[in-house]
Amino acid sequence: MTLWFIRGIRRGVVTTRYPARPDASARFLPAPPAFRPRALTRVTAGRLVTACPSGALRLDDGTLVYDVGRCTACGRCAAEAPDAIQSSGEFELAATVRSGLIKRIPLRETP
Amino acid sequence: MTAEELRETIARQFGRSLHIRTLDTGSCAVCEQEIRLLTAPHYDLHRLGFFFTPAPRHADLLLVTGPMIRAFEVAARKTYDAMPGPKVVVATGACALGGVYPPDPFTHGTVDAVLPVDVWIPGCPPSPLALLHGLGVAVGRLAEKVRDLPFTVDDHPERTRGDS
Repeated sequence: MTLWFIRGIRRGVVTTRYPARPDASARFLPAPPAFRPRALTRVTAGRLVTACPSGALRLDDGTLVYDVGRCTACGRCAAEAPDAIQSSGEFELAATVRSGLIKRIPLRETP
Repeated sequence: MTAEELRETIARQFGRSLHIRTLDTGSCAVCEQEIRLLTAPHYDLHRLGFFFTPAPRHADLLLVTGPMIRAFEVAARKTYDAMPGPKVVVATGACALGGVYPPDPFTHGTVDAVLPVDVWIPGCPPSPLALLHGLGVAVGRLAEKVRDLPFTVDDHPERTRGDS
């Protein structure tokens, strides 16, 4: 009887087990982009910089500098160059150092 | 006071309890919606020992949203000063991290310009799960992951998803 009672209560629990266990709904969240460097030429990168409305992307000395903190995961870069960008699927993005959020993406060497 | 020291102090003085004061410095209120969802049954922030408090004098953690409009600067400083130490400031959302508004005569553009930020949580808005992870990082219970993520993918022939 007691076991049945405890099981019955437990079956009605909707609370996530996160952070002890992964949450199933995490894959539906909008996530910042991940870049495919082999498909990323300087021209494409320039178009992405223009398309980004929040200034998260900029070109610096042959690399694409991506500030995850500024990114709003709007998806306009993915619409601009779908073959060079896919969703990273990451949501655990909290950082204790601001520079830890700034990523340098290498570009493809154009002949 | 670093997050590591705060974690030890909190563990010693309060057990697993931590009180949060939210501060809206001009956000569009979507970050607030996500923060409010933390107390809903699915996320249930209280099971982890986090509680919201309306008084900065009772708070250990300041959860700041919005681009820090200049009209709010004095109030933000007063809120921070009113909190007893040790205290942690968490900047939440793309606005607070400088993504949406540039510095201009009306906004500072980032929370860092006024308050000493300890933890940054990106996202527009950050989902409740991201906020939970950020709070865990702020008190040292969860590991920080983003520093080691490259945000690049290998060129394996995998299907392209345009839904970033």
